[in-house]
Amino acid sequence: MSRRTRHSTLVTCFALGAVAMLLVPTSAAAQARRPPGARRPARPAPHAGSWEIGGGFLWQGGFDLGDRDAELTRNPATGTGPYDLFTSASSLGAGIGVQGRIAGYVSRNLAIEGGARITFPTLDIHLSGDVESARDLTATETLTQYVFDGSLVWHFAPFHRGRAVPYVAGGAGYIRDLHEGSALIETGAEYHALAGLKWWLSSRPRRLGIRGEAGVSIRDGGFDFREGRRTVPVASASLIYLF
Amino acid sequence: MSRGIKFALAAALIVVCAVPAAAYLKLGTRVGNRTVTLSWRQFPIRYFVTNRDVDGVTAQQFRTAIERAFANWHAVPNTTTSSQFVGFTQAQPVSGDGATVLGFQNRPELDRTLAATNFFIDTTTGEIVESDIFFNSAFTWSTAEAGIAGRFDVASIAQHEIGHLLGLSHSALGETELRAGGRRVLGAEAVMFPIAFSAGDLNDRTLKPDDIAGISDIYGNATFQRQTGSISGKVTKNGRGVLGAHVVAFNPASGKLIGGFSLSDDGSFVIAGLEPGPQVLRVEPLDDGDISSFFDETMDIDVDFKVGFYDQVVIVPRGGGARNIEIKVASK
Repeated sequence: MSRRTRHSTLVTCFALGAVAMLLVPTSAAAQARRPPGARRPARPAPHAGSWEIGGGFLWQGGFDLGDRDAELTRNPATGTGPYDLFTSASSLGAGIGVQGRIAGYVSRNLAIEGGARITFPTLDIHLSGDVESARDLTATETLTQYVFDGSLVWHFAPFHRGRAVPYVAGGAGYIRDLHEGSALIETGAEYHALAGLKWWLSSRPRRLGIRGEAGVSIRDGGFDFREGRRTVPVASASLIYLF
Repeated sequence: MSRGIKFALAAALIVVCAVPAAAYLKLGTRVGNRTVTLSWRQFPIRYFVTNRDVDGVTAQQFRTAIERAFANWHAVPNTTTSSQFVGFTQAQPVSGDGATVLGFQNRPELDRTLAATNFFIDTTTGEIVESDIFFNSAFTWSTAEAGIAGRFDVASIAQHEIGHLLGLSHSALGETELRAGGRRVLGAEAVMFPIAFSAGDLNDRTLKPDDIAGISDIYGNATFQRQTGSISGKVTKNGRGVLGAHVVAFNPASGKLIGGFSLSDDGSFVIAGLEPGPQVLRVEPLDDGDISSFFDETMDIDVDFKVGFYDQVVIVPRGGGARNIEIKVASK
């Protein structure tokens, strides 16, 4: 696109925006003239001021926490390198959980969304190679991971007679990981980028739908064996209601 | 009550009483029905060094090595110990003279003892009022920075003995093998392990997490209490407590190992000074050293069970404790 053409497009967008704003008082004026008992014609939903709530199930990928040997300092007279008492291999498994979200539309395409996610991944520490032949074993613990987040959701043009709406979302959140019995709480930040599809079950202004999405969640803090960021895949399916 | 009756002599080679609520072992004494930890209450600890040269080590070199070992213990974060070299003395490192003395003595009859620590304690409070350490000059010694093969490193052995002087007993964090002439250490992860590495080794110049947890447990300040946690529970076999089981907490994130013992008939144990977060527990019988190096020989220590792991990850809270852990073991 040439520089001139892009400028023209921007001017066009601003002009359309102004028209959209002017339509609001025009609509109010029309209402004043509507005969008593007549229903106001519905605007295509969603629109600025629409709300959407939803809840469903969530899957969050796990990650490897690494191997670590229980090392004794070897007596140099008996060899070289550490003297391993046993070996550990740790991982945080994928977690299944639930989520709830509420979104407010600021335009037909853009929504601001907030929500909470809870997952229950399992920490597995596999212990093996004991120098005194202790039986191999996997010690476990189930964590409760909360994420409270906010996102911007951009909806693309619908298809399939307006029922299917693809979208992308990105945002940030607060991680609160609780170990069993709430013995220890570890917090951090979370960033996410998601893409998904909403499938409305009707075309009424107030309507039910289902929503599926997948993407990545970048965890900075919370439970981990090391400092730094960790990227995990996430996917979810929810029932949603637009009003 | 006269001072002579109130005070008692104890030797670190024979544990007086193992104090519950401790990682590794702390030295303790019975006061009535309870056991109190042996500890210094007056700082700095004022000590003398015997003015005697031995083959390969002058008194001045010995003093420097001793100061280095003391400094390592005093440098443990969030603890409050200190010491002061008072001067050289002609006195021998023996108890009861009112002075804490460290020095060489020729004790060829103790052919398996490199060094030993004695205490003079107030048996009503557990306060250590005097402690003396002798280094057996029947062995050959070195203070060389890089060590000398075939000679025991004064700083390394002093570090172990000063751990006793401060109130620590032995740690069982090590593996040994039986050979003609006694046990040989294969590996250890505590300066307070009772058997020294081979002559010339310098590894015990560096304190290990188990040692640090131990000294912090005795002299730790409020910050230590806030920043670390503990695990407590019991070791059982066929529903009954196991006495003297060695329980090791392993942090799979940092690799740190800190040990403790079940110290009562119901198998109760406490391991303190742990980093908050996940830990795994391993339990083993006390079979890598003479039981008398750890416990009073009158205690009925159970060594008839298999080594095993606890099947759950234990989460150590910051400034608190993970309690009621039960580790079940099976007979061999």
